[in-house]
Amino acid sequence: MLRVEGLNAGYGAVQVLWDVGFHVDDGEIIAVLGSNGAGKTTTVRAVTGLLKPMSGSVQLDGRELCGRKSRAILDAGIVQVPEGRQLFTEMTVYENLELGAFSPEAKAKLAESLEVCYGYFPRLKERERQAAGTLSGGEQQMVAVARALIGLPKLLILDEPSLGLAPNVVDDILTVAHGMAKQQGLSVILVEQDVTKALSTADRGYVIENGRVALSGTASELSADEHVKRAYLGI
Amino acid sequence: MDTFLQACLNGLMIGGFYSLMGMGQNIIFGVMKIINFCHGEMLMVGMYLTYVFHAWLGIDPYLAVPLVALTMFLFGALFQHTLITPSLGTHSFTNLLFLTVGMGVLLTNVAQVIFSSDYRTITTGYSSTILSFGPVTVALPKVVSFGVLIVISIALFFFLKYTPVGKKIRAVSQNPIGAQVVGIDSKKIYMITYGLGAALAGVSGALLTLFYVINPTAGSNFGFRALIVVVVGGLGSIPGAFFAGIFLGLLETLVSLFIGPSLRTLVVFATFIVILVIRQNILLRRA
Repeated sequence: MLRVEGLNAGYGAVQVLWDVGFHVDDGEIIAVLGSNGAGKTTTVRAVTGLLKPMSGSVQLDGRELCGRKSRAILDAGIVQVPEGRQLFTEMTVYENLELGAFSPEAKAKLAESLEVCYGYFPRLKERERQAAGTLSGGEQQMVAVARALIGLPKLLILDEPSLGLAPNVVDDILTVAHGMAKQQGLSVILVEQDVTKALSTADRGYVIENGRVALSGTASELSADEHVKRAYLGI
Repeated sequence: MDTFLQACLNGLMIGGFYSLMGMGQNIIFGVMKIINFCHGEMLMVGMYLTYVFHAWLGIDPYLAVPLVALTMFLFGALFQHTLITPSLGTHSFTNLLFLTVGMGVLLTNVAQVIFSSDYRTITTGYSSTILSFGPVTVALPKVVSFGVLIVISIALFFFLKYTPVGKKIRAVSQNPIGAQVVGIDSKKIYMITYGLGAALAGVSGALLTLFYVINPTAGSNFGFRALIVVVVGGLGSIPGAFFAGIFLGLLETLVSLFIGPSLRTLVVFATFIVILVIRQNILLRRA
Protein backbone atom coordinates (compact mmCIF):
# COMPACT_ATOMS: atom_id res chain seq x y z
CA MET A 1 0.00 0.00 0.00
CA LEU A 2 2.87 2.41 0.80
CA ARG A 3 5.87 2.45 -1.48
CA VAL A 4 8.77 4.80 -0.80
CA GLU A 5 11.54 5.04 -3.39
CA GLY A 6 14.69 7.08 -3.75
CA LEU A 7 13.82 9.39 -0.89
CA ASN A 8 16.39 12.15 -0.29
CA ALA A 9 15.80 14.61 2.50
CA GLY A 10 17.65 16.87 4.90
CA TYR A 11 17.74 20.14 6.76
CA GLY A 12 18.94 23.15 4.79
CA ALA A 13 22.06 22.16 2.91
CA VAL A 14 22.69 19.10 5.11
CA GLN A 15 21.36 15.95 3.50
CA VAL A 16 20.35 13.29 6.01
CA LEU A 17 18.54 10.66 3.95
CA TRP A 18 20.10 9.12 0.85
CA ASP A 19 18.00 7.10 -1.57
CA VAL A 20 15.81 5.55 1.13
CA GLY A 21 13.29 3.00 -0.08
CA PHE A 22 10.86 0.62 1.60
CA HIS A 23 7.31 -0.63 1.28
CA VAL A 24 4.44 -1.69 3.54
CA ASP A 25 1.57 -3.99 2.54
CA ASP A 26 -2.00 -3.95 3.84
CA GLY A 27 -2.18 -5.26 7.39
CA GLU A 28 1.56 -5.50 7.62
CA ILE A 29 3.80 -4.21 10.41
CA ILE A 30 7.25 -3.13 9.36
CA ALA A 31 10.01 -2.03 11.71
CA VAL A 32 12.37 0.79 10.83
CA LEU A 33 15.43 0.24 12.96
CA GLY A 34 18.62 2.11 13.62
CA SER A 35 20.64 3.85 16.25
CA ASN A 36 20.26 7.44 17.41
CA GLY A 37 20.88 9.86 14.56
CA ALA A 38 20.65 7.22 11.82
CA GLY A 39 17.79 9.08 10.12
CA LYS A 40 14.69 7.27 11.41
CA THR A 41 12.76 10.33 12.54
CA THR A 42 13.83 12.26 9.45
CA THR A 43 12.32 9.43 7.40
CA VAL A 44 9.04 9.79 9.32
CA ARG A 45 9.08 13.56 8.88
CA ALA A 46 9.77 13.30 5.14
CA VAL A 47 7.04 10.69 4.59
CA THR A 48 4.41 12.63 6.60
CA GLY A 49 5.21 16.01 5.08
CA LEU A 50 6.50 17.68 8.23
CA LEU A 51 9.72 18.01 6.25
CA LYS A 52 9.69 18.65 2.51
CA PRO A 53 11.82 15.95 0.81
CA MET A 54 14.52 16.99 -1.68
CA SER A 55 13.47 14.28 -4.12
CA GLY A 56 11.98 10.81 -4.27
CA SER A 57 8.63 9.11 -4.38
CA VAL A 58 6.10 8.35 -1.63
CA GLN A 59 3.10 6.49 -3.03
CA LEU A 60 0.06 5.44 -1.04
CA ASP A 61 -2.14 3.01 -2.99
CA GLY A 62 -0.57 4.34 -6.18
CA ARG A 63 -1.13 8.02 -5.34
CA GLU A 64 1.98 10.17 -5.30
CA LEU A 65 2.30 12.12 -2.04
CA CYS A 66 5.94 13.19 -2.08
CA GLY A 67 6.25 16.94 -1.49
CA ARG A 68 2.60 17.37 -0.53
CA LYS A 69 1.66 19.30 2.58
CA SER A 70 1.28 17.46 5.87
CA ARG A 71 -2.48 18.01 5.88
CA ALA A 72 -2.87 16.38 2.43
CA ILE A 73 -0.84 13.37 3.55
CA LEU A 74 -2.96 13.13 6.69
CA ASP A 75 -6.12 13.25 4.57
CA ALA A 76 -4.70 10.44 2.41
CA GLY A 77 -4.68 8.26 5.56
CA ILE A 78 -1.13 8.37 6.92
CA VAL A 79 -1.32 9.32 10.61
CA GLN A 80 1.63 9.42 12.96
CA VAL A 81 2.26 9.16 16.65
CA PRO A 82 5.18 11.59 16.70
CA GLU A 83 8.40 11.23 18.62
CA GLY A 84 7.98 12.80 22.06
CA ARG A 85 4.17 12.41 21.77
CA GLN A 86 3.52 16.14 21.14
CA LEU A 87 0.34 16.25 23.21
CA PHE A 88 -1.57 19.38 24.17
CA THR A 89 -0.49 19.16 27.78
CA GLU A 90 -2.84 21.75 29.29
CA MET A 91 -5.90 20.33 27.56
CA THR A 92 -7.86 17.37 28.86
CA VAL A 93 -7.37 13.85 27.58
CA TYR A 94 -10.79 14.09 25.95
CA GLU A 95 -9.91 17.35 24.17
CA ASN A 96 -6.66 15.84 22.91
CA LEU A 97 -8.51 12.86 21.48
CA GLU A 98 -11.23 15.05 20.00
CA LEU A 99 -8.60 17.05 18.10
CA GLY A 100 -7.39 13.78 16.56
CA ALA A 101 -10.63 13.64 14.54
CA PHE A 102 -9.42 15.92 11.74
CA SER A 103 -11.60 14.67 8.88
CA PRO A 104 -15.40 14.82 8.54
CA GLU A 105 -15.58 10.99 8.63
CA ALA A 106 -13.47 10.85 11.77
CA LYS A 107 -15.63 13.55 13.39
CA ALA A 108 -18.79 11.62 12.54
CA LYS A 109 -17.36 8.45 14.04
CA LEU A 110 -15.80 10.14 17.08
CA ALA A 111 -18.04 8.55 19.72
CA GLU A 112 -17.52 5.10 18.24
CA SER A 113 -13.74 5.55 17.93
CA LEU A 114 -13.54 6.79 21.52
CA GLU A 115 -15.27 3.62 22.74
CA VAL A 116 -12.78 1.51 20.79
CA CYS A 117 -9.81 3.44 22.21
CA TYR A 118 -11.15 3.28 25.76
CA GLY A 119 -11.54 -0.45 25.20
CA TYR A 120 -7.85 -0.72 24.33
CA PHE A 121 -6.70 1.69 27.05
CA PRO A 122 -9.27 1.69 29.90
CA ARG A 123 -6.98 4.01 31.91
CA LEU A 124 -7.75 6.82 29.47
CA LYS A 125 -11.45 6.65 30.22
CA GLU A 126 -10.72 7.20 33.92
CA ARG A 127 -8.44 10.11 33.06
CA GLU A 128 -10.79 11.64 30.46
CA ARG A 129 -11.25 14.98 32.29
CA GLN A 130 -7.64 15.33 33.44
CA ALA A 131 -5.07 17.60 31.78
CA ALA A 132 -2.89 15.44 29.53
CA GLY A 133 0.28 16.91 31.07
CA THR A 134 -0.60 15.46 34.50
CA LEU A 135 -0.57 11.86 33.22
CA SER A 136 2.35 9.46 33.53
CA GLY A 137 4.64 8.96 30.52
CA GLY A 138 3.00 5.67 29.64
CA GLU A 139 -0.50 7.11 29.83
CA GLN A 140 0.59 10.07 27.69
CA GLN A 141 1.86 7.64 25.07
CA MET A 142 -1.53 5.91 25.15
CA VAL A 143 -3.20 9.28 24.55
CA ALA A 144 -0.89 9.90 21.60
CA VAL A 145 -1.70 6.49 20.09
CA ALA A 146 -5.43 6.92 20.69
CA ARG A 147 -5.33 10.43 19.18
CA ALA A 148 -3.82 8.95 16.02
CA LEU A 149 -6.32 6.06 15.87
CA ILE A 150 -9.24 8.49 16.16
CA GLY A 151 -8.06 9.98 12.85
CA LEU A 152 -9.00 6.59 11.26
CA PRO A 153 -5.60 5.91 9.67
CA LYS A 154 -4.92 3.47 6.84
CA LEU A 155 -1.27 3.60 7.77
CA LEU A 156 -0.14 4.28 11.33
CA ILE A 157 3.41 5.41 12.01
CA LEU A 158 4.68 4.96 15.56
CA ASP A 159 7.85 6.97 16.11
CA GLU A 160 9.86 5.62 19.06
CA PRO A 161 6.93 4.55 21.24
CA SER A 162 9.31 2.94 23.74
CA LEU A 163 11.29 6.11 24.48
CA GLY A 164 11.51 6.48 28.26
CA LEU A 165 8.64 4.11 29.04
CA ALA A 166 8.32 1.02 31.22
CA PRO A 167 8.53 -2.23 29.19
CA ASN A 168 5.01 -3.41 30.07
CA VAL A 169 3.48 -0.13 28.80
CA VAL A 170 5.34 -0.54 25.50
CA ASP A 171 4.04 -4.11 25.27
CA ASP A 172 0.45 -2.89 25.74
CA ILE A 173 0.84 -0.38 22.93
CA LEU A 174 2.51 -2.85 20.58
CA THR A 175 -0.20 -5.42 21.31
CA VAL A 176 -2.87 -2.90 20.31
CA ALA A 177 -1.02 -2.04 17.09
CA HIS A 178 -0.51 -5.73 16.31
CA GLY A 179 -4.18 -6.49 16.91
CA MET A 180 -5.34 -3.66 14.67
CA ALA A 181 -2.98 -4.75 11.90
CA LYS A 182 -3.95 -8.38 11.96
CA GLN A 183 -7.70 -8.02 12.59
CA GLN A 184 -8.56 -4.82 10.75
CA GLY A 185 -5.87 -4.62 8.10
CA LEU A 186 -4.22 -1.47 9.44
CA SER A 187 -0.70 -1.05 8.13
CA VAL A 188 1.88 -0.03 10.72
CA ILE A 189 5.38 1.42 10.55
CA LEU A 190 7.15 0.94 13.85
CA VAL A 191 10.21 3.14 14.22
CA GLU A 192 12.35 1.87 17.06
CA GLN A 193 15.75 1.82 18.70
CA ASP A 194 14.70 -1.16 20.80
CA VAL A 195 15.41 -3.77 18.14
CA THR A 196 14.40 -6.83 20.17
CA LYS A 197 10.94 -5.39 20.90
CA ALA A 198 10.44 -4.16 17.37
CA LEU A 199 11.38 -7.43 15.72
CA SER A 200 9.15 -9.42 18.05
CA THR A 201 6.13 -7.44 16.80
CA ALA A 202 6.97 -6.65 13.16
CA ASP A 203 6.63 -8.86 10.10
CA ARG A 204 9.58 -7.31 8.29
CA GLY A 205 12.19 -4.70 9.03
CA TYR A 206 14.60 -2.20 7.52
CA VAL A 207 17.83 -1.15 9.18
CA ILE A 208 18.87 2.44 8.54
CA GLU A 209 22.51 3.43 8.99
CA ASN A 210 23.92 6.86 8.15
CA GLY A 211 20.75 7.83 6.33
CA ARG A 212 20.70 4.81 4.02
CA VAL A 213 18.84 1.50 4.14
CA ALA A 214 21.67 -0.84 5.10
CA LEU A 215 19.69 -4.05 5.44
CA SER A 216 16.19 -5.40 5.08
CA GLY A 217 14.38 -8.67 5.53
CA THR A 218 11.76 -10.53 7.51
CA ALA A 219 11.83 -10.16 11.27
CA SER A 220 13.31 -13.64 11.73
CA GLU A 221 15.98 -13.04 9.07
CA LEU A 222 17.02 -9.80 10.75
CA SER A 223 17.03 -11.36 14.21
CA ALA A 224 19.37 -14.06 12.92
CA ASP A 225 21.63 -11.65 11.02
CA GLU A 226 25.17 -11.49 12.38
CA HIS A 227 25.52 -7.73 11.81
CA VAL A 228 22.20 -6.96 13.50
CA LYS A 229 23.12 -9.23 16.41
CA ARG A 230 26.47 -7.55 16.90
CA ALA A 231 25.44 -3.93 16.31
CA TYR A 232 21.94 -3.79 17.83
CA LEU A 233 21.24 -6.83 19.95
CA GLY A 234 24.52 -6.94 21.80
CA ILE A 235 24.91 -10.68 21.23
CA MET B 1 -14.30 56.16 53.16
CA ASP B 2 -16.51 57.52 50.39
CA THR B 3 -13.53 58.68 48.35
CA PHE B 4 -11.95 55.26 48.87
CA LEU B 5 -15.04 53.50 47.52
CA GLN B 6 -15.22 55.96 44.66
CA ALA B 7 -11.57 55.29 43.79
CA CYS B 8 -12.16 51.54 43.91
CA LEU B 9 -15.09 51.86 41.55
CA ASN B 10 -13.10 54.01 39.13
CA GLY B 11 -10.21 51.57 39.33
CA LEU B 12 -12.49 48.66 38.58
CA MET B 13 -13.90 50.44 35.51
CA ILE B 14 -10.51 51.35 34.02
CA GLY B 15 -9.10 47.96 35.01
CA GLY B 16 -11.71 46.27 32.84
CA PHE B 17 -10.16 47.95 29.81
CA TYR B 18 -6.66 46.83 30.80
CA SER B 19 -8.07 43.30 31.07
CA LEU B 20 -9.61 43.36 27.62
CA MET B 21 -6.41 44.74 26.09
CA GLY B 22 -4.29 42.23 28.00
CA MET B 23 -6.44 39.29 26.90
CA GLY B 24 -5.99 40.24 23.23
CA GLN B 25 -2.25 40.62 23.64
CA ASN B 26 -2.20 37.34 25.54
CA ILE B 27 -3.83 35.16 22.88
CA ILE B 28 -1.58 36.70 20.20
CA PHE B 29 1.49 35.95 22.29
CA GLY B 30 0.23 32.49 23.20
CA VAL B 31 -0.26 31.38 19.61
CA MET B 32 2.54 33.13 17.73
CA LYS B 33 5.01 33.86 20.55
CA ILE B 34 5.26 37.45 19.38
CA ILE B 35 4.67 40.70 21.23
CA ASN B 36 2.23 42.90 19.40
CA PHE B 37 3.70 46.37 19.78
CA CYS B 38 0.83 48.09 17.94
CA HIS B 39 -1.87 46.83 20.31
CA GLY B 40 -2.47 50.30 21.79
CA GLU B 41 -2.62 51.86 18.33
CA MET B 42 -5.30 49.37 17.32
CA LEU B 43 -7.33 50.59 20.31
CA MET B 44 -6.89 54.13 18.97
CA VAL B 45 -8.12 53.01 15.54
CA GLY B 46 -11.16 51.50 17.25
CA MET B 47 -11.84 54.91 18.82
CA TYR B 48 -11.66 56.75 15.50
CA LEU B 49 -13.80 54.13 13.77
CA THR B 50 -16.45 54.65 16.42
CA TYR B 51 -16.07 58.40 15.97
CA VAL B 52 -16.55 58.07 12.20
CA PHE B 53 -19.57 55.78 12.59
CA HIS B 54 -21.10 58.30 15.02
CA ALA B 55 -20.18 61.63 13.43
CA TRP B 56 -20.64 60.68 9.78
CA LEU B 57 -23.31 57.97 9.88
CA GLY B 58 -25.09 58.79 13.12
CA ILE B 59 -24.61 55.36 14.65
CA ASP B 60 -24.69 55.17 18.45
CA PRO B 61 -21.24 54.23 19.88
CA TYR B 62 -22.62 51.07 21.50
CA LEU B 63 -24.32 49.97 18.29
CA ALA B 64 -21.00 50.62 16.53
CA VAL B 65 -19.22 48.04 18.75
CA PRO B 66 -20.00 45.03 16.50
CA LEU B 67 -19.08 47.04 13.39
CA VAL B 68 -15.76 48.07 14.94
CA ALA B 69 -15.12 44.48 16.02
CA LEU B 70 -15.73 43.20 12.50
CA THR B 71 -13.63 45.91 10.81
CA MET B 72 -10.73 45.38 13.20
CA PHE B 73 -10.96 41.60 12.87
CA LEU B 74 -10.62 41.90 9.10
CA PHE B 75 -7.80 44.42 9.44
CA GLY B 76 -5.96 42.13 11.90
CA ALA B 77 -6.45 38.99 9.81
CA LEU B 78 -5.17 40.79 6.72
CA PHE B 79 -2.14 42.26 8.52
CA GLN B 80 -1.32 38.83 9.93
CA HIS B 81 -1.66 36.96 6.67
CA THR B 82 0.12 39.39 4.37
CA LEU B 83 2.90 40.68 6.62
CA ILE B 84 3.31 38.88 9.96
CA THR B 85 2.97 35.22 8.89
CA PRO B 86 5.60 35.55 6.12
CA SER B 87 7.98 37.14 8.67
CA LEU B 88 7.72 34.32 11.22
CA GLY B 89 10.63 31.90 11.34
CA THR B 90 14.28 32.82 11.40
CA HIS B 91 15.09 36.27 12.83
CA SER B 92 11.40 36.56 13.59
CA PHE B 93 11.90 38.45 16.84
CA THR B 94 13.64 41.46 15.28
CA ASN B 95 11.50 41.31 12.12
CA LEU B 96 8.30 41.36 14.12
CA LEU B 97 9.57 44.03 16.48
CA PHE B 98 10.06 46.35 13.51
CA LEU B 99 6.89 45.22 11.78
CA THR B 100 4.52 45.76 14.71
CA VAL B 101 6.22 48.93 15.99
CA GLY B 102 6.18 50.22 12.41
CA MET B 103 2.49 49.44 12.03
CA GLY B 104 1.84 51.37 15.25
CA VAL B 105 3.70 54.43 13.92
CA LEU B 106 1.86 54.14 10.62
CA LEU B 107 -1.58 53.96 12.27
CA THR B 108 -0.82 56.95 14.50
CA ASN B 109 0.34 59.03 11.55
CA VAL B 110 -2.57 58.06 9.32
CA ALA B 111 -4.92 59.10 12.13
CA GLN B 112 -3.07 62.38 12.41
CA VAL B 113 -3.32 63.04 8.66
CA ILE B 114 -7.04 62.29 8.52
CA PHE B 115 -8.22 63.72 11.84
CA SER B 116 -5.33 66.08 12.85
CA SER B 117 -4.06 65.84 16.41
CA ASP B 118 -7.05 67.75 17.85
CA TYR B 119 -8.78 66.05 20.75
CA ARG B 120 -12.18 64.78 19.79
CA THR B 121 -15.07 63.55 21.90
CA ILE B 122 -18.40 61.86 21.30
CA THR B 123 -21.49 63.19 23.04
CA THR B 124 -24.84 61.45 23.07
CA GLY B 125 -28.10 62.12 24.85
CA TYR B 126 -27.13 59.88 27.75
CA SER B 127 -23.39 60.52 27.94
CA SER B 128 -23.60 62.87 30.91
CA THR B 129 -26.19 60.86 32.86
CA ILE B 130 -24.86 60.13 36.33
CA LEU B 131 -25.88 57.12 38.39
CA SER B 132 -25.45 57.00 42.14
CA PHE B 133 -24.97 53.88 44.21
CA GLY B 134 -25.21 55.00 47.83
CA PRO B 135 -22.23 57.26 48.45
CA VAL B 136 -20.57 56.75 45.08
CA THR B 137 -21.50 58.10 41.67
CA VAL B 138 -20.56 56.96 38.22
CA ALA B 139 -21.36 58.10 34.68
CA LEU B 140 -23.85 55.88 32.87
CA PRO B 141 -21.55 55.17 29.85
CA LYS B 142 -18.87 53.83 32.20
CA VAL B 143 -21.31 51.35 33.69
CA VAL B 144 -22.59 50.25 30.28
CA SER B 145 -19.06 49.92 28.88
CA PHE B 146 -17.95 47.92 31.89
CA GLY B 147 -20.95 45.62 31.51
CA VAL B 148 -20.22 45.09 27.81
CA LEU B 149 -16.57 44.32 28.40
CA ILE B 150 -17.39 41.82 31.14
CA VAL B 151 -19.75 40.05 28.73
CA ILE B 152 -17.05 40.06 26.02
CA SER B 153 -14.45 38.66 28.46
CA ILE B 154 -16.73 35.82 29.48
CA ALA B 155 -17.66 35.14 25.86
CA LEU B 156 -13.96 34.98 24.93
CA PHE B 157 -13.28 32.53 27.73
CA PHE B 158 -16.10 30.22 26.59
CA PHE B 159 -15.13 30.62 22.93
CA LEU B 160 -11.60 29.41 23.64
CA LYS B 161 -12.75 26.63 25.94
CA TYR B 162 -15.63 25.08 24.05
CA THR B 163 -15.74 25.94 20.35
CA PRO B 164 -13.80 23.91 17.73
CA VAL B 165 -11.86 27.00 16.60
CA GLY B 166 -11.11 27.95 20.22
CA LYS B 167 -9.73 24.47 20.87
CA LYS B 168 -7.53 24.72 17.78
CA ILE B 169 -6.22 28.09 18.97
CA ARG B 170 -5.27 26.52 22.31
CA ALA B 171 -3.76 23.49 20.56
CA VAL B 172 -1.50 25.64 18.36
CA SER B 173 -0.41 27.72 21.35
CA GLN B 174 0.40 24.64 23.45
CA ASN B 175 2.13 22.50 20.84
CA PRO B 176 2.62 23.67 17.24
CA ILE B 177 4.09 20.32 16.13
CA GLY B 178 1.23 18.40 17.74
CA ALA B 179 -1.18 20.75 15.97
CA GLN B 180 0.43 20.00 12.62
CA VAL B 181 0.30 16.26 13.34
CA VAL B 182 -3.50 16.47 13.75
CA GLY B 183 -3.86 18.54 10.59
CA ILE B 184 -4.58 21.98 12.05
CA ASP B 185 -3.89 24.74 9.51
CA SER B 186 -1.73 26.98 11.68
CA LYS B 187 -1.71 29.90 9.20
CA LYS B 188 -5.48 30.05 9.37
CA ILE B 189 -5.37 29.92 13.17
CA TYR B 190 -2.79 32.74 13.14
CA MET B 191 -5.18 34.87 11.08
CA ILE B 192 -8.12 34.21 13.36
CA THR B 193 -6.05 34.81 16.49
CA TYR B 194 -4.55 38.09 15.37
CA GLY B 195 -7.93 39.17 14.04
CA LEU B 196 -9.46 38.43 17.45
CA GLY B 197 -6.71 40.35 19.24
CA ALA B 198 -7.25 43.33 16.93
CA ALA B 199 -11.02 43.14 17.43
CA LEU B 200 -10.60 43.12 21.23
CA ALA B 201 -8.34 46.18 21.03
CA GLY B 202 -10.76 47.94 18.68
CA VAL B 203 -13.73 47.17 20.91
CA SER B 204 -11.81 48.50 23.92
CA GLY B 205 -11.38 51.74 21.97
CA ALA B 206 -15.05 51.89 20.99
CA LEU B 207 -16.16 51.38 24.59
CA LEU B 208 -13.87 54.19 25.79
CA THR B 209 -15.12 56.89 23.41
CA LEU B 210 -17.92 58.27 25.57
CA PHE B 211 -15.64 59.26 28.45
CA TYR B 212 -12.12 59.41 27.07
CA VAL B 213 -10.65 61.92 24.63
CA ILE B 214 -9.93 60.62 21.16
CA ASN B 215 -6.55 61.54 19.71
CA PRO B 216 -3.86 59.80 17.64
CA THR B 217 -1.76 58.81 20.67
CA ALA B 218 -4.64 57.83 22.98
CA GLY B 219 -3.75 54.14 22.69
CA SER B 220 -0.17 54.12 23.93
CA ASN B 221 -1.06 54.11 27.66
CA PHE B 222 -3.31 51.13 27.11
CA GLY B 223 -0.76 49.35 24.94
CA PHE B 224 1.88 49.49 27.67
CA ARG B 225 -0.55 48.35 30.30
CA ALA B 226 -1.61 45.40 28.15
CA LEU B 227 2.00 44.21 28.28
CA ILE B 228 2.07 44.51 32.07
CA VAL B 229 -1.21 42.60 32.29
CA VAL B 230 0.20 39.75 30.19
CA VAL B 231 3.33 39.45 32.29
CA VAL B 232 1.60 39.77 35.66
CA GLY B 233 -1.37 37.58 34.78
CA GLY B 234 0.66 34.80 33.27
CA LEU B 235 1.24 33.97 29.64
CA GLY B 236 -1.60 32.13 28.01
CA SER B 237 -4.03 32.55 30.89
CA ILE B 238 -7.26 34.38 30.06
CA PRO B 239 -8.61 34.51 33.66
CA GLY B 240 -5.09 35.55 34.77
CA ALA B 241 -5.12 38.46 32.31
CA PHE B 242 -8.60 39.44 33.42
CA PHE B 243 -7.73 39.67 37.11
CA ALA B 244 -4.35 41.27 36.44
CA GLY B 245 -6.09 44.03 34.49
CA ILE B 246 -8.54 44.71 37.32
CA PHE B 247 -5.66 44.67 39.83
CA LEU B 248 -3.71 47.17 37.74
CA GLY B 249 -6.72 49.50 37.45
CA LEU B 250 -7.34 49.41 41.22
CA LEU B 251 -3.65 49.94 41.96
CA GLU B 252 -3.54 53.03 39.74
CA THR B 253 -6.54 54.77 41.21
CA LEU B 254 -5.62 53.92 44.81
CA VAL B 255 -2.09 55.22 44.27
CA SER B 256 -3.59 58.42 42.83
CA LEU B 257 -5.79 58.75 45.89
CA PHE B 258 -3.28 57.97 48.64
CA ILE B 259 0.07 58.97 47.14
CA GLY B 260 -0.83 61.43 44.42
CA PRO B 261 -1.80 61.37 40.76
CA SER B 262 1.62 62.49 39.56
CA LEU B 263 3.26 59.35 40.96
CA ARG B 264 0.64 57.00 39.52
CA THR B 265 2.58 55.78 36.50
CA LEU B 266 5.82 55.60 38.45
CA VAL B 267 4.30 53.35 41.12
CA VAL B 268 2.62 51.15 38.51
CA PHE B 269 5.86 50.48 36.68
CA ALA B 270 7.81 50.08 39.93
CA THR B 271 5.29 47.44 41.05
CA PHE B 272 5.66 45.76 37.70
CA ILE B 273 9.45 45.58 38.13
CA VAL B 274 9.09 44.20 41.66
CA ILE B 275 6.69 41.51 40.42
CA LEU B 276 9.12 40.59 37.64
CA VAL B 277 12.00 40.27 40.12
CA ILE B 278 9.98 38.16 42.54
CA ARG B 279 8.75 35.94 39.75
CA GLN B 280 12.26 35.52 38.37
CA ASN B 281 13.49 34.44 41.81
CA ILE B 282 10.69 31.91 42.17
CA LEU B 283 11.46 30.50 38.74
CA LEU B 284 15.17 30.28 39.51
CA ARG B 285 14.52 28.51 42.79
CA ARG B 286 12.25 26.03 41.05
CA ALA B 287 14.80 25.29 38.33
